[in-house]
Amino acid sequence: MGPDGTSLAHGIGGAQDLPISPELAIAGAVAALTVSFTVLAVAWRTPRYDGAPGRPVPPWLDALVAHPAYRVALRVLGMVLFLYTAVAAVFGQDLVINPFFGIFYVWWWVGLVPFSLLLGPVWKAISPVRTINLAFARISGGDPDEGMFRYPERLGYWPAAIGLFAFVWLELVYPYSTELGPVRLWCAVYVAAMLLGGALFGSTFYERADPFEVYSGLVAKMSVWGRSPEGRLVLRSPLANLATVVPRPGLVAVVAVLFGSTAFDSFRDSTTWLRFLQDHDVINDNGVLGADTSVTIANNVALLVFCGGIGLIFAAASMATGIDPGTDRRSLPDRFAHSIVPIIVGYIVAHYLSYFVEVGQQTLIYASDPFSDGSNYLGTADLQVNYWLSYHPTFLANVKVLAVVVGHVLGVIAAHDRAIKVLPLRHQLTGQLPLLFAMVGFTAGGLFLLFAA
Amino acid sequence: MRRLIAGAVLVAAVLALTTACGDDEAAPTNTTSPAKPFEINFLGETVTPSGAEETIEQGTDIELVIEADKPGELHVHSSPEQQLEYDAGTTTIPVALSNQPPGVIDIESHDLDVVVIRLTIR
Repeated sequence: MGPDGTSLAHGIGGAQDLPISPELAIAGAVAALTVSFTVLAVAWRTPRYDGAPGRPVPPWLDALVAHPAYRVALRVLGMVLFLYTAVAAVFGQDLVINPFFGIFYVWWWVGLVPFSLLLGPVWKAISPVRTINLAFARISGGDPDEGMFRYPERLGYWPAAIGLFAFVWLELVYPYSTELGPVRLWCAVYVAAMLLGGALFGSTFYERADPFEVYSGLVAKMSVWGRSPEGRLVLRSPLANLATVVPRPGLVAVVAVLFGSTAFDSFRDSTTWLRFLQDHDVINDNGVLGADTSVTIANNVALLVFCGGIGLIFAAASMATGIDPGTDRRSLPDRFAHSIVPIIVGYIVAHYLSYFVEVGQQTLIYASDPFSDGSNYLGTADLQVNYWLSYHPTFLANVKVLAVVVGHVLGVIAAHDRAIKVLPLRHQLTGQLPLLFAMVGFTAGGLFLLFAA
Repeated sequence: MRRLIAGAVLVAAVLALTTACGDDEAAPTNTTSPAKPFEINFLGETVTPSGAEETIEQGTDIELVIEADKPGELHVHSSPEQQLEYDAGTTTIPVALSNQPPGVIDIESHDLDVVVIRLTIR
């Protein structure tokens, strides 16, 4: 709702980035294509990353990170952020200047990526639902890792995929995504589901079913921080770290939702889609549904098509190879799914960089006034947003394309390394081709959306 | 791996070199260029234009000349957002956009839920 009680159909944040130039998009796509085939032609023929041990960090760093006080401090930080946000959500007003929206959509959702990329699995460390579960276990004398039941292996990451879809649906499709009531309800259902799941299945539930922990954990696999089998903190190359992603059922669904929804977000802003929604007779003059309902249905269908389409293309491409008689073909998509993570991260950087930097600052300014009464609790209310990035559109466009291309290259290398591990020798090169084409297609499509939207 | 990294760096460098030159940007200027006018017509449940793509230069303001058969409200999705009310008849509303960085701003009819003008500032 706007200050006068009007709803903002656009979500938070005002202007969008300028589209990238066609030359830049083409240069990026050509680079992605060239590097992909170079990787296939010249790269190593024995797996390098699977089981790479990593270098131990200096003892003081390992001791600090393992120290109970450090753990508790992070949990306290997470709880304070959670409670502050909850207070703004419950007692704040239904206005765009309520910091709840920015904290929810920008700091939490978008911020999860840069923080996890730099610092490792941050959400696991600060997650308030984990903290509450921990507190319950302490009080009742139980073990937070143990629930009443064992988490079913078959479920894998599926609950997280559904949770992530629920989030992107709220953000991108639901027409009232910037009204306080529905967003608050979403959060309440999330917290309730997480506490219930934790009670039933213990901490394993958070590792595999908390959408934010799974997302943060996947991105953290692209950081340099890892754990040795003995549990010590080690430094690893991001690619070696990425190879330690545990394939479980539903992993493809998780990466398909993350990638598909980001692509849909770009597509949704394109003039093509706008024209279709505003001018096409199917939407505006179908004689059955009103235009508003038709628009919502069209957006729902498009989001499903993007997520489902990417999942199906990826699954088909990773299965289209010769295999050993002993390998189950259907296990391949999940075993290759980690290679999409760098592509997701590159595309998230491209799509949300200026949004995160600029609306993130705006949120910090709003955060001082959770009840919209002119307060300045944190002393940030008088800061000004720095629009340096927007004032340097050429630089921004170059960063975006570079992020997409680097993400693509890392994805291709990760897939290559996995292919030479799981595919039989005579199919190692040809077996990679379908997946390589799929990835080039994803990257070219992503660049096209940055150019067209 | 070395060769790969070298290849990636090379590609990145070529990419940067081929694209870095050209339309570079200046900080907001204080030169006052005249506001650019745009006409908008509301009639019943329709508006013209609808989803029109327009471009202005960074640092200029615009002016909306609105002709409407009933009062209503427009939203300009700048940062921060601006809400403009108009009456039936002809209304001319100046919209300050010269302080906006380059980007794409939608001007939306609140009542019809339609993007009237998609304005590119560059």
